Amino acid sequence: MLDAYPETLVAIEWHNSGFTPSNSDFDIPEYSSRASMYGVGGIPQTQWNGVQETVGGYANGNWQAFIGTFTALYNSMVGEETPYEISINGYAGSEVSYDVTISMDSDMSNSNQKVDIFVVEDNIWSYWTGASQYHNARNVARDWLSTEDLAISSADESETFSGTFDMDEDWNADSVKIIAIVQNYASKQVYQVTAVNINDMNPDIDDDGILNGEDNCIDIYNPGQEDYDNDLIGDVCDPCDNLVYILGNINGDTDDTGAPVINIMDVLSLVDYLISNESYECQDPILNINGDEFVNVVDVIALVQSILGGNS
Amino acid sequence: MKKLFIAISLTLSFGQKLEPIDVAIQDLETIIQTASRADQRVIVEDFTGLL
Repeated sequence: MLDAYPETLVAIEWHNSGFTPSNSDFDIPEYSSRASMYGVGGIPQTQWNGVQETVGGYANGNWQAFIGTFTALYNSMVGEETPYEISINGYAGSEVSYDVTISMDSDMSNSNQKVDIFVVEDNIWSYWTGASQYHNARNVARDWLSTEDLAISSADESETFSGTFDMDEDWNADSVKIIAIVQNYASKQVYQVTAVNINDMNPDIDDDGILNGEDNCIDIYNPGQEDYDNDLIGDVCDPCDNLVYILGNINGDTDDTGAPVINIMDVLSLVDYLISNESYECQDPILNINGDEFVNVVDVIALVQSILGGNS
Repeated sequence: MKKLFIAISLTLSFGQKLEPIDVAIQDLETIIQTASRADQRVIVEDFTGLL
């Protein structure tokens, strides 16, 4: 099935130490916590998107009889709408650095939402004693790197989780993957998953010559790394450096090059402020368009005139 | 009383005329949001062993 659905199906093999030969390194300590999370009592058990399981029924790895059941489970889940997208980038050497970015295209509560990051090794030709045959083990769990709370909850927000891990000398680097999931720890529902081979990660997303882990603005080209306010966030992606939130750019939007855009939407944002009297941090210094003591409707008029090319 | 009747009639009339527009805007919003939403991929965690 993994070969049939390479873009939409991700697997992890968690190997139970009680059923792993002493000369095998397939079992890892993290098995126990992952298995207890789902109440796994014995093997085999499959867990689909965290919430649907099959228990037993295909001893000795003879899962072929279950292909119909597995396909039905897969089809019932794939393509459903989800607010999350996951991208994984980084740099692979003897130490692997990674940046897992979760972005949202619609709102969802972040209550109990967590991001798990795993390392697996694919295509390990290994002897399965129970089945008395060699078997190509797929995506064997090698490490459970982290579990982090997801802070974002609204459309257009994104959050990046960065870290490093050491490559084991016995792992085949061409087959090592990072898998990241968004999972609700109350319902166990997995809302999105992405896997990437570490050799396929982009070490420099914006192609500005600065590796992601050292880039002060990962996804916008800024080879000079300019940082006006020395807050370690590059000017081209730092909303509060007086380069993006300049006078009049009330909503802080930018064009593709990171330059501020002042238009009718800023007028609406200023009107919103006058109605709600609520602003966010970067807006405060730039609301008073005409520079008098107050932020009021006169500032709206001044902004409109400015946009239309008026003089005052 | 006559003025009140006219006022209520106008309100109801315009309310009915505006409703399809509101619905259309909501439909358009839904279509745009749906078009941009991500598709769920599937993960299967296989608890297994070699023995």
